[in-house]
Amino acid sequence: MSSRTAILRNRATAEGDVTSQTALPASDVTAPHGLRKRRGVNREGLEAGRRSTRTILWILLAVAMVLYGFPFLYLLFTSFKTPIDTIAVPPTILPKEWTLENYANALGRSGVLASFINSVQTAIISTVLSLVLAVPAAYGITRYKTPSGRVFIMAALVTRMVPPVAIGIPLASMMSSVGLADTPIALSIAHTTISLPLSIWLMSSFFEAVPRDLEEAATVDGCSRLGALWRVVIPVVSGGIAVTAIFAFLASWNEFLFALLMTAIRSQTTPVVIANFQTQFGLDWGSMTALAAVYSIPVILLTLLLQRKIVAGMTLGAVKG
Amino acid sequence: MRITDRRFALYLMTPAALFLAVFVAYPLFRLIADSFFKISPIAGGPRDFVGFQNYVTAFASEAFMGAGWRTLAYTLVVVTLEFALGLGMALLFTTLGRSSQVWRTVFLYPLMIAPIVAGLLWKFLMIDNFGLIGTLLHQAGILSNPNQIGWLSDPNIVLFSVAIPDIWLTTSFMCLVLFAGLQNIPGDLIEAARLDGARAPALLFRIILPLLRPVIAVALVVRGIDAARAFDTILIQTNGGPQSASETMSLLIYRTMIRFGDPGLASAMGTIYLLAMLAVAFFAVATIWRPGKDN
Repeated sequence: MSSRTAILRNRATAEGDVTSQTALPASDVTAPHGLRKRRGVNREGLEAGRRSTRTILWILLAVAMVLYGFPFLYLLFTSFKTPIDTIAVPPTILPKEWTLENYANALGRSGVLASFINSVQTAIISTVLSLVLAVPAAYGITRYKTPSGRVFIMAALVTRMVPPVAIGIPLASMMSSVGLADTPIALSIAHTTISLPLSIWLMSSFFEAVPRDLEEAATVDGCSRLGALWRVVIPVVSGGIAVTAIFAFLASWNEFLFALLMTAIRSQTTPVVIANFQTQFGLDWGSMTALAAVYSIPVILLTLLLQRKIVAGMTLGAVKG
Repeated sequence: MRITDRRFALYLMTPAALFLAVFVAYPLFRLIADSFFKISPIAGGPRDFVGFQNYVTAFASEAFMGAGWRTLAYTLVVVTLEFALGLGMALLFTTLGRSSQVWRTVFLYPLMIAPIVAGLLWKFLMIDNFGLIGTLLHQAGILSNPNQIGWLSDPNIVLFSVAIPDIWLTTSFMCLVLFAGLQNIPGDLIEAARLDGARAPALLFRIILPLLRPVIAVALVVRGIDAARAFDTILIQTNGGPQSASETMSLLIYRTMIRFGDPGLASAMGTIYLLAMLAVAFFAVATIWRPGKDN
């Protein structure tokens, strides 16, 4: 790669960031539009200016946030109650006595830790599979704009509408006929049927934002088309790949129906275990809330950390429309 | 020797296309084929061709038609409430401006929670006897008895109750998409309307909503498709009950397949359900969305 390509690439990396952000206004949620004048003195657009109005709006927001945040907080509080206290009538919001008993019960139950490992395994395999398939496909669709590419992206959109319950059973019998029944591989393939169309869609939008002269410069410098994709374009869209990976991971991590249909004991993921708590062991609400908390908190934290990227991915399809 | 661009593009798409063909198109084909057979649920059991018999059975069954209407009602309730709440929150965040940014982030959190966990959580809040909502409403003096409303046990309201976790989970998505759309409305347009004396309702209905139309359309189509497929939240809350009052199409197909052991009938139901979804989605896309079309 000559220095010219390198310069172009650096420029494009900078531009790529800018274009991908201007294409996705929400990825920069801090600066809505244009330059903002001094807040509270000059309002712009829809922002409220008057102090009294703003006070009312803040009160509204506070109420909304409390109502919206409360259910999960209640789950957390409940998970720290004693098992008896969780089903006390009438219920209390805060635990009378804070204890980790529910956590010990939930995590100590056989199969729970194994299900965590299965969930992680399945989600990772599914994410990798989605990316390996979606990245070249999306690149082929956006760069060469062939008729087959247009047909393909429409077909991928249609697969998004297929209800999992319709293909779950045939898929499960296919997997058992090739000896993959009840394995994380089989489940991650099923999860990829959900995340692949989404990944192709997301990656297409990211490739769209990469300037074309970048690969042209690389091919002039003697790169093959595949080499240009691998060494020049992929590094530029690495942010987009990260977003796509997060979405694929979350889709698999939180999925329940395929997991229910396709796993028995060996490869069961945690959502299935959580759901089984209520039948197998009666109504063990304490352990259930503890396990639900343990399962949800890592992904909530991950999201808060990667908030800007996730916002970008979620609004992408919609705003570009 | 150099392959053409067109062929190169095809090679790039082939693995993903093959994957979707094998793991989506082929199972779908199997589903449609199965819908013409009477299949014994026992592995290796008999399999008799019955033509359209399963379709006739499906349309004649009260459970199927009921599930169809319930799915429609459920989808409308979820999407309407979610849209109203999401728009309200998006406007609130927009009018408060950048000072509300932290809260915008916090507002996203339910999107990361598994639907099964959300269903469980709301079941715990609404359940009879030790459910918190009834107790709080009772303590506030609104209800005379904490169990006055049987959120999940009264067949008349259960379809609404099971929709709550779904609404709670994805209002954030609506809010996010609409908020992004609102940021694209030029500020001077709003200023100009304000100078002309437009008040808040006029501003909302005459300017903001018409400008947001494409974004609203996408959000409604995407969420409508998802809501019509809802399964996890309903299964864990009521398992379709009481008296099938919350049994939507996904649940009915699942139960017909697994519990009642009639894969042929379940496949016919699945095929009709899929065709209906495709028809509605294409209609919606063709009339309001038009993806890929440049303005």
